[in-house]
Amino acid sequence: MSAGVEIRNVSKQFGNGVQALDDVSLSVAAGEVLCIVGPSGSGKSTLLRTVNRLETVTAGDVLLDGESIHTAGRQLNALRQKAGMVFQQFNLFPHLTVLDNITLAPLKVRGESMTTVKPRAQSLLDRVGLGDRGDSFPSQLSGGQQQRVAIARALAMQPDVMLFDEPTSALDPEMVGGVLDVMKDLASEGMTMLVVTHEMGFARAVADRVVFMESGRIEHIAEPENFFEPASGSRLDLFLGQVLR
Amino acid sequence: MNSRWFWHGVYALVLLALALAIYAASRTVDYTWRWDRVPDYIVAYEDVDLRSTLTGIVEISDGQVEIIGTQDAAATETFGDLDEVLVEDGDYVFDGDVIGTRSGWRIGPLTWGLVVTLQLSILALLFAVPIGLLAGLGRVSTNPAARNLAATYVELIRGTPLLVQIFIFYFFVGTVLSLSRMTAGVAALAVFTGAYIAEIVRAGIESIPKGQMEAARSLGMSYGQAMRHVILPQAMRRTLPPMAGQLINLIKDSSLVSVIAITDLTKAGREVVNSTFSPFEVWFTVAAMYLVLTAGLSLLIRRFELRLARSDG
Repeated sequence: MSAGVEIRNVSKQFGNGVQALDDVSLSVAAGEVLCIVGPSGSGKSTLLRTVNRLETVTAGDVLLDGESIHTAGRQLNALRQKAGMVFQQFNLFPHLTVLDNITLAPLKVRGESMTTVKPRAQSLLDRVGLGDRGDSFPSQLSGGQQQRVAIARALAMQPDVMLFDEPTSALDPEMVGGVLDVMKDLASEGMTMLVVTHEMGFARAVADRVVFMESGRIEHIAEPENFFEPASGSRLDLFLGQVLR
Repeated sequence: MNSRWFWHGVYALVLLALALAIYAASRTVDYTWRWDRVPDYIVAYEDVDLRSTLTGIVEISDGQVEIIGTQDAAATETFGDLDEVLVEDGDYVFDGDVIGTRSGWRIGPLTWGLVVTLQLSILALLFAVPIGLLAGLGRVSTNPAARNLAATYVELIRGTPLLVQIFIFYFFVGTVLSLSRMTAGVAALAVFTGAYIAEIVRAGIESIPKGQMEAARSLGMSYGQAMRHVILPQAMRRTLPPMAGQLINLIKDSSLVSVIAITDLTKAGREVVNSTFSPFEVWFTVAAMYLVLTAGLSLLIRRFELRLARSDG
C-alpha cells in the first residue's frame, strides 16, 4: 500500500519572477521517510505542494506511484487520492463534526457507504487517540487534537504517500509530542512520508534521509547520522547552528 | 444602571418630540384628517348586492329565493343566506335586478396590494437566488468566459437604475417575448436582485480561507465537490445576514413595478388616494404595511440565524 515519489527536474517561477524551485530532482522510495528542512523561503513547502499539484510547476514533473501528476488531466483527482496531505493550519472543515470531516471524502469522492467508512473512521480516531471525540466540532478541540484529526482524515482515503507541511509549526509546544508520536507510528508501519519540518529531533530519529534546501535548490541530502554532522562552516552547519541552538 | 434608564428616557422623549412636531406641522396646513376612511380599504364588513342573472318569476320558500326563467323554465337561480330580501313572492325580475343583500367581510384593495407585493417578492426571490448563486460562482471561477460573463452581468445591472430596467423589461423584453406585466415585473426584480446576490455570494466564498479548498482538493475532491460540500456550506452561513438585507430590499424595490400598472401595495395606495382624497392617511398606512412585512421578515431571519449559530458548535 506504499508507493514511491519521483520528482524530476522541477522548476517553479512565481508570477512576480521569484524562482521558488530551481531544477529540483529527488527520488523517494516506497516506505521511505524523507524530512525536508531549510530556512523559510527556501522552497521546501512549495516542493511538497508540487507533489499533489496544489502548486503547478513551470518545468519538470512529479511521478506518484509511477504516474505523472503534472500532465494528468481528468485522472488528477484520482491520483491525488494516493497522496494524503497534512497542513500547517490543519484546515479541518469547521462546519462538520470530527467524524464527518473524516468520512466526507470517502463518501463523496469514492462513493463508499457509511457502513464501511464509519468503522474505518472510528478506528483511525482511536489510533490518533481521539476515539471519543467523533461528535465534537473542530473548534472544540485543541490545536494538537485538530492536527491529529487532520492526519486521520488524510488516512481515511487510504493513501500510498503522506505529505506533511510543517505539521507542528502552528502548535503550542506541549501539543507537538502527540502529533509526532502519531507520525512516528505511521513511519514504523512503512508509510512513504515526505515531511517538511523544523523538528530536528524528529528528523534525526525517524527520517531515512534528510534534505536541506536553500534558495529553491537541494543543497544537501544525507542519512540523519551524517546529516547532523556537517562540514563546519558549510551553509547547513550555519543553519543547524541556528535551529539547534 | 440608572444612567441607562436615563438614556432610554431621552430616546422616548426625542420620539415624542418628533411626533408632536409632525402633528404641529400638520395643523399648519389646511387638511382634514379622515383616518376613519382608511380601515375600509384594508378590510371591510359591508353589504353586498346580489343580482339576478335571469329574467323570471320569484319564488320564496323558507328564506330561499328562487328565480324561474320565463324564457326557459329549466333555467333557475337560487339565493340563500340573504340578510335582506328586496323582492317578494311572484315578483317579475329582469336580468341585473337586485334580489337582496348579504353582508360579510371583504378584503380591501390595500390588502390585495400587500398580497400582490408578497407574491412579486417571493416569485422574484425564487428566481434571484439561483441566478445570483450561478453568477457568484462565475465571479470566482478561473474560467475566463464564466468570470467575464458574470462580471458583465453584475456591472450592467448594478450600473443602471431599477426603474429603467423595469421599463426595458416591460416595453422591450416583454414585447419581444410577449410577457405579461406580472412576468415582466418578476423578471426585472429577479435579474436586478440576482446581481446583488451574486456579489454577496462572491464575497462569502472569498471569505473562506484558501486552505479549505486546498484540503478538499488534496483529498481528491473535484472543484465542484469541494464547492458543494466544503466551501458553500460555510459561505452560506456568512452570507445569511446580507442575504436577508437583500430580501428586505427586494420587498421595498418591488414598489417600483407599480409603474407598469401592476396593482401592488404602492399602486393600490395611489388608487385609494384617488378615491378617498386622503393622501396623508393612505401613504402613512401603506408605509406601515411595508414596515410590518419587512420587520416581520427580519424577525424571522434573526431567529433562523440564532438557530444556525447554535448548531455551529
